[in-house]
Amino acid sequence: MRRLAATTVALATCGLVLSACGTAADDDKAADKVECKPTKIEGDPKVALAYDVGGRGDQSFNDSAYAGLEKAKGEFKVESTEGEANQDEDEAAREERLRGFAEDGYNTIVGVGFAYSESVNKVAPDYPNVAFAVVDGFDPDKTVNCNVAYLTFAENEGSYLVGAAAALTSKTGKIGFVGGVNNALIQKFEAGYEAGAKAADPDVEVTSTYIEQSDPKGFGDPAGGKSAAEGLYSDGADVVFHAAGGSGAGVFDAAVEAKKWAIGVDSDQFKTASAKQRTRILTSMLKRVDVATYDFIKSVVDGKPSSSYTTFALKDDGVGYSTSGNFLSKDTIAKINEYKDSIISGDTKVPEKP
Amino acid sequence: MTGTTALSRARTVRYTTIVVALAAIVTVSAVRIVTGADRLTTPGTLRQALIAACPILLAGLGGLWAERAGIVNIGLEGQMLLGTWGAAFFAYHHGWLAGIVGAAVMGLIGGLVHAIATVSFGVDHIISGVALNIIGLGAVGFLAKSYFDELSGGGPRNLSGYPTPPTLTIPGISDGARSLADQHWFVVSDVSAAVAGATTNLSILTILTLALALLTAWALWRTSFGLRLRSCGENPQAAETLGVNVYLYKYVAVLVSGAFAGLGGAYLTMVSSSSFTVGQTNGRGYIGLASMIFGNWRPSGVLTGALMFGYADGISLLPKNGPLVHALLLLVAVFLLAYSVFKFRAGELTTAIVVAVIALGALVWYFTTTRVPSAFTGMTPYVITLFVISVASQRLRMPAADGKPYRRGSAG
Repeated sequence: MRRLAATTVALATCGLVLSACGTAADDDKAADKVECKPTKIEGDPKVALAYDVGGRGDQSFNDSAYAGLEKAKGEFKVESTEGEANQDEDEAAREERLRGFAEDGYNTIVGVGFAYSESVNKVAPDYPNVAFAVVDGFDPDKTVNCNVAYLTFAENEGSYLVGAAAALTSKTGKIGFVGGVNNALIQKFEAGYEAGAKAADPDVEVTSTYIEQSDPKGFGDPAGGKSAAEGLYSDGADVVFHAAGGSGAGVFDAAVEAKKWAIGVDSDQFKTASAKQRTRILTSMLKRVDVATYDFIKSVVDGKPSSSYTTFALKDDGVGYSTSGNFLSKDTIAKINEYKDSIISGDTKVPEKP
Repeated sequence: MTGTTALSRARTVRYTTIVVALAAIVTVSAVRIVTGADRLTTPGTLRQALIAACPILLAGLGGLWAERAGIVNIGLEGQMLLGTWGAAFFAYHHGWLAGIVGAAVMGLIGGLVHAIATVSFGVDHIISGVALNIIGLGAVGFLAKSYFDELSGGGPRNLSGYPTPPTLTIPGISDGARSLADQHWFVVSDVSAAVAGATTNLSILTILTLALALLTAWALWRTSFGLRLRSCGENPQAAETLGVNVYLYKYVAVLVSGAFAGLGGAYLTMVSSSSFTVGQTNGRGYIGLASMIFGNWRPSGVLTGALMFGYADGISLLPKNGPLVHALLLLVAVFLLAYSVFKFRAGELTTAIVVAVIALGALVWYFTTTRVPSAFTGMTPYVITLFVISVASQRLRMPAADGKPYRRGSAG
């Protein structure tokens, strides 16, 4: 299991950083050769959403995907179902879930989270008339899956902006980062956050910590998130950014107790947090999983299911930051928007690895 | 044995305990100064250790109640899980106090199932306990999906936004101790860090947990009720011939055990964090069981074990803990060497040599490296659990009839 996780991480890096990885670049060429016809689904679109650890109600990543589904349902009146992941489930359980959906006649299946990359890769070829999508996903082998869309994000760019916000707001000159699981995907958040903070204040000290090294349960462990954030706050950090899904609730608890700032992730977490936590959420790094999910469902409804890689970046509002709560000062917002323009114009390159 | 010699023996034991505890504090402080890892004993670290220790302590005490009456309760994990759901559900609808009570009741229901199976029907304790753990996880998943899905702040596997127990900060003591702790003085700062950690943002539930540890010690060892309950764990046939209703005592013990485990679950959902997720216990029920065994089926031992595991659990989540765990290697080596000398003097040569070799291994590791890889720090609590149990299990004595089936009338 652990070795598998390591492999997936390595592959994820290849998939996401196409230029940095030789084999992935070859894959890319191979992909060009294969002419993919749009997946023909049978009958009306029926959408199934398979959640990652944490599940719906995590006020973060999974909820964002759900919001996309809700929007699509409101507009297109599609039928839908959802599947929840267990804390310690293995690859077989995910495959089983996806196959179950396909067998039940769901022809539009979204795996929420990179953990579904492998299982979708196995299941998708057996159901050529089903359109699959994997949020944060990657193709783990060289065979091109024409009926799979990989929806990825430039998390590093969004994190860069909240990193700048953290550095500009910090009074102690120390800020922190809590990651759910130490993998390539979450390191993208860390790298962007640190780069943004250093850009805004070269002297700022950034400390990062991860709840789990490889076990996905790091995304569903609020107690772990709270302990990790408490450690950072007691070391002097006064702003902590989390990329830990459902564990983030614990980070907010720690911020409430320490009377310091926290930064949310994926959704605008100010809107869903409890009244007490709300006063401590400086901003949130938005990763529009809802937009990605909605766009994918829309493409199916329109009869042209998207496939291959789609990256949602700052320039197309796929990532960003929130200002709910009005905790960011005008100057800070102006500064952040400068950085934003600079990234969009390509003048600032945001690193993907810490 | 006359009354006076028993008393003087008790005094010697108490005296030894105090000496050992003092020596431990001095050692920890010395290691902190030698290694420069000041975070070994900052108020923040020790506060985390306390918060991590409480659920383990509650599970351990739960295990103690059951096993003292002769019932092995390996179902603690499942009862804790039921407690996490009970706390979230009742706190969401009726406030934090109802949450605490609700968690205890849910745990108690788990205990009741175990009691019916093991006491009334004579099912093997391990089988019933394992079944209970599986049922607990399934039931909590089902209950969460049925009751939390439609709530605001809820999801099929999550709930947040319910009230949690209030916290206390003792103003004068907390600040004074904190400033002393910041001086990093030998021993003084370590002790005041512990005081500061225990007086800042202290949850009501933490106080209740420590009170329950005292209550357990008093009820099981200072009352006739406790004596009868323990007699059911040592020799139920003899207890029966003396007119003790063994079934009743076993039932009471297992119900209390379940309720304690349920409270442990409440602690996780209400103090360790303020949100509920399915499967939040992450094996803490088993660690509680381990702390009970480590504690030699005594409340003070369970407390020591829980604090130790809590400490290891707490620091595994601290940021930049590589150097910290590295310093811990030296601490472990020193303690093991001391234990080895103790065993050598007691004439147990083999144990002494084995422990000394392990200690030397830790020392070599300490001196040849500068930090411990982050992948290793996460396993610290489990490695220490395994380690301590294997070393400490040399002289443990569990209740004589623990885990043995008992049928009424078997005394003949």
